[in-house]
Amino acid sequence: MRKRIAVLSVILLILVITVVRAQNSTTTYTVGEFQTANPNYPHPNPFYFEGKVDWNLLNISQPSNAWEYMEEGMHAQDDLGDIAGATQDYQTALSMNSLQNGTCQIVTAANLVNGALPATLTPPPCIFTLRLRLGSLLQESNPTEAISLFQEVLSIDPLRLGVNKLIGETYMIEAGHTTDPTAQQQAYQNAIQALQAELALSPVTAQTIALTADQANNAHVWWDLAQIYQALGQNANAANAYQQYLLATQWHSDVYPWRIALAQQNIKILQARLRHGQ
Amino acid sequence: MSIVRRSLGIALWAAICILQLACATSQTPPVTGTATGNTTEGEFAAQPFERPEKCLPCHQRQYNELFAAVKSGYRNVSPLFNGLESAGNLINGGLLRPVYQDSTVVLPDGTLLNTNMLTSSPLTETRQVQAGFCFTCHNANVELLGDNPINREVPQLSGLQGNFDPATFRPLRDYMLVDANGNQVLPAVPGGEPPAGSLPSLGAAGITCDVCHDQAGPDLTRSFQEDGFANMSLLFNQSIEKVGPFLFPLGVKGNFHVASNDPNKIAFLKAGAFCNACHDVRVPNNNLMAEENNINPGGSSIKYFRLENLSSEWQLGLYNSTSNPFGKVIACQDCHMSDFPYAGTSNYAVGNMTITSPTPAIYATDYAAVPGVSTVDNAPLPLRQVVNHYFTGVDVPLLSLSELQARLGAGYPDPYASGTDAHGFPVGLANRRQDLLNAATRINLASTDSSAQIGQSFMVRLEAVALTGHRFPAGFSQERTAYVQLSVQDNNGFLIYQSGYVVDKPHPDDGVTAPNGNLDDEDLEHVHAIVDPGHYTTPYQTGTATNGGNNLVFQLGPDDGPDARVFEGASEGLVLFRNELIHIFLPGQPIGRTDANGHQIIAQTPHFEETFNAALANGVDNFRSLQPLQPRMYNYQVQLPTAQELTQLGVTLQGPLHVHAQVNFEHFPPVFMRYLAECTGPNGPAGQSLNLVDENLINTYLKNVKAISTADVTVNLVQ
Repeated sequence: MRKRIAVLSVILLILVITVVRAQNSTTTYTVGEFQTANPNYPHPNPFYFEGKVDWNLLNISQPSNAWEYMEEGMHAQDDLGDIAGATQDYQTALSMNSLQNGTCQIVTAANLVNGALPATLTPPPCIFTLRLRLGSLLQESNPTEAISLFQEVLSIDPLRLGVNKLIGETYMIEAGHTTDPTAQQQAYQNAIQALQAELALSPVTAQTIALTADQANNAHVWWDLAQIYQALGQNANAANAYQQYLLATQWHSDVYPWRIALAQQNIKILQARLRHGQ
Repeated sequence: MSIVRRSLGIALWAAICILQLACATSQTPPVTGTATGNTTEGEFAAQPFERPEKCLPCHQRQYNELFAAVKSGYRNVSPLFNGLESAGNLINGGLLRPVYQDSTVVLPDGTLLNTNMLTSSPLTETRQVQAGFCFTCHNANVELLGDNPINREVPQLSGLQGNFDPATFRPLRDYMLVDANGNQVLPAVPGGEPPAGSLPSLGAAGITCDVCHDQAGPDLTRSFQEDGFANMSLLFNQSIEKVGPFLFPLGVKGNFHVASNDPNKIAFLKAGAFCNACHDVRVPNNNLMAEENNINPGGSSIKYFRLENLSSEWQLGLYNSTSNPFGKVIACQDCHMSDFPYAGTSNYAVGNMTITSPTPAIYATDYAAVPGVSTVDNAPLPLRQVVNHYFTGVDVPLLSLSELQARLGAGYPDPYASGTDAHGFPVGLANRRQDLLNAATRINLASTDSSAQIGQSFMVRLEAVALTGHRFPAGFSQERTAYVQLSVQDNNGFLIYQSGYVVDKPHPDDGVTAPNGNLDDEDLEHVHAIVDPGHYTTPYQTGTATNGGNNLVFQLGPDDGPDARVFEGASEGLVLFRNELIHIFLPGQPIGRTDANGHQIIAQTPHFEETFNAALANGVDNFRSLQPLQPRMYNYQVQLPTAQELTQLGVTLQGPLHVHAQVNFEHFPPVFMRYLAECTGPNGPAGQSLNLVDENLINTYLKNVKAISTADVTVNLVQ
C-alpha cells in the first residue's frame, strides 16, 4: 500500500510537470524536418551561365538533357581525368543543344518582350560552356572543329573575354601542325586577327590608365602575338608586342615570370636586327 | 502510514506549486508597447530585450566570451558591414532600412508598407523583405523594439527611392551610441566620430544573450521554404523565460529569469537548425534569371537568390549525418562553441587523403553560472559540459582597438591579445581564428608527375578538401577569399611557375600613385577589375547610372584560372575557392564601360560577368567554394622553358624541381573593399564621406592569412 501510494505520488508529479511542459510548448517544430527536395540542383538560368556543380550533389543517375550531359562531362574531365568520357558527354550534349539541328538559338534583342525575357525560349539558348569545354579538348586533334565551336561562343556572347584568345591560340596550333607555308601564313594571319580582337574587348583608354596605371593589358595575348610576329619575321611588330607584354606585366608579373626577362632579351635582339635592316 | 501520508502530501504540495507557477505565468499579459507580431503568447512575465550586462553577474564567463565575438558588437560597427549596407541603400534609395508599424509608406499597388522583414509574417511583398534586410539578422531585438518610437534606435528614412536624400544618409552605426542616461546621441556629421562620452547602445551589442536565449523556435511561415532558413525566421519569447541547453536547470535567484524546461526549445537551441535563420541569406530580387520563389501563401511574387548558403550546405552535408569521420552529427555548436580545435586530434581517410585534424564536439566541464550568486538559496551548481560563447569564425575586426573601445565600450578586448582563458583557449580572437582556419582545409600534391623535361610540360595535381561543416569559405562566400598559392622552383630557387601570387602596385582609383610596400592589400592576378563607385547627384536617382556598381574595368589577368578552369576546362591558372555573384546583362543593356572610342558598350546578346555588388547580382555560382569531405583535383599544366630560352636567360636548371602549394585566406578582396571605400567616400553618391572604409584602413587591417594548409613535392628534372 505504502509502495503504491508512493508510486502514485510520483506519477502525479510527472503528470503535472507534463502539463506544465505542454503549456510551454509553443511550436510543432520537430528537429530534423526540413525541405526534402534537392536544393543543390540549381535552377539554371535560361542562358546556362552557371558553371560546374559538384557532381555528387546533383544526384543524377542518367543525364537527360544537354546541361546534365555537360555537367557529367565536367565531372569526367576534371574529377576523373577521363578525357574520352568527357568528350563523349560534351558531344552528346552538343547534339541536344545545336545550332545546326535547331535545338538551340542565339538570343538577341528580338527575343525580348518589352525589354524582358519571355517565360520560355523555344528552342532554348545555346550553351557556351559546352562549346568552350569541347573546343578546348579538340584544339590539338581537330583545330578546325575547335575554332568552329569557339566562333559559336562568340555568336552566343561576343563580349565574352578569352574566346578570341582561344581562337588565336588554336590557329597557332594549326600553323604549327602544317608544313604548307601558305597555309601556315594564313593560320598565323588568322591568329593575329583573333588575338587583336581579344585586345579590342579590353581597350586601354585614358580612363583605364587613370584608374589602373596599366599602359597595356592582356599580357598573354601580347606574348602570343610576339611569338607569331617572330615566326613571321616581322621584327618591328614582334619587338612592339614584347614591349606591350612588358607594359602589361609591369604591375601584374606573369605566371611564368622568367618570360619577362626573356622578353627584354628578345627586344634587344629584335632591335639589333632592325638596326641591321632586317 | 505517516510516511505514506507525508509522501502524498509532498507530492500534492509540489504539484500545486507547479500548477500555480504555470497558471501565474500564463496569466501575465504581454509586454506593453513592444512589437507583438513576432512574439508567442505570453506565458511568463514579460521582459523586454535586455542589455547583456544584465546577465553578467551570474554568467561572467559567457558574457566575456560573447563580448569578444564578432557577432556581438564588432559586426554592428564593422566598416565593411556598414559600408556594404550603405552601398546597397545608395543604389536603391534606402530600401534596405527598416520600416515600422507607424510607417505611412504606400507601395505602388496601394499596400501600406508598415512591417519589416521581422514583423511581416508571412512575407508577401519584396519590399517587406528589403525593409531592414541586413539589420534584421544583425539587430533583430532592436528592430522589434523599434516598432515603439520610444525604443527606436535606427529611424525609418524620411524618403525612399526617388525621395531618398543621400546627403542626410547615415551608416547604421551612427545610431548605436547613447549618452550616460541612455539617450541616443549622434555623431556631429553623418559617419562622424562618436561624440565625447558616448556609450554603446543596445544595438551596438549586436547579437546579445537575449537574442538567442529568448528564442521560441523557428518561424516557419516567415522563411521562404517554410523550413526556418534565412530571414531571421525565429520566434522570440520576450519574457523572463530564457532557453538554455539543460533539461533540468536550477532555479534562478530572484526570479530574474526562468530557465526554460521546454524540451523543444532546448533541443532547438542546441541544434544546427537554430543557426539556419541567419546563416542562410536569401536576397530578394525581381530581376533574377534563375530565381526561387517564396512558397508561403500570398508570397509567390517574392523571388530570391542565395547569398549566404552556409546553413543549407551544412544541412545537406555529411556532418549533418552519421556518415562522417566522427560517426555522429556534428552541429554548428560542435565546432564554433566547443573546445574545437583544442581538444585533441582525429585521424581518418577522405578519398585518397589521410587526414589528421582537430576533433569536434568535445566540451569543457565547468559551471554554467557563477557559483554562490546565481541560484535560489545559493543551491550548489553542478559541474556540466558547457559551451563557450566565442563563436570563433573567419573574421577579426578591421578596426583599431581604440576605435573598437570608443564604439563598443572601454573594456572591449584586444583581438590580438595573447594568453589563454580558464579553459586554456587563446583569449585573442586573432589566435583562435588562425587555429580555426588551420583546421579548415587539407591539400596534397601526391599525384603530381614524378618527372619533368626541359622544354616540355608536366602536370602538377593538387588535391584539396574542406574539413568544415559547410563549404569553405562559407558565409559571404562570394567575397570571402580562399585560394591556392603555388610555385615551382628549381633546386637553385629559380622560379619557373607561380599562381596565386600578388604584385605591389599603384591604385590610382583610390589615390595610391605608387607601390606602398604592402602585398596584403593587393588583388590576385586572375582578373583586373575596378567597380564604378558612383557619384553624388541632385536630385537623387536610383540605379547604377549615378550610383555605380558596374565594372569600369574588367580584364583577364595573367593568372586567369577560376573562369578558365570552370568554363574552358583549362589546366592552368588560379585555384580560387570563392563563389561568384554574377550580373547577367540582357541584349540592349549597357554593361557600364566604354570602348576604345568612348562609346558605351551595349550587350548585343546576353552577357554576364562577376559583380562585386550583391544588389546588382541577378545570378550566383555557389559551387566554386570547396566542398567538405569531398576531395577535388586541380591540375596545373606547367611548361618548362626550352634549352634555347634557358641559354638566352643564362640559366641552368638544376633538379629536382620543388613544387610548393599553400591555401591562403583573406577577409575580402581588395577590389571589393576599394569599391566600398570609394562608394562611401567623399566622392561617392552620398556626397560626403561616411568614414567607413578608406585606403589607410585597407592598408593597415586587411591581412592575408597565409599557409592555412600546405603541401610540397619534388619532381625529377630530365635535362
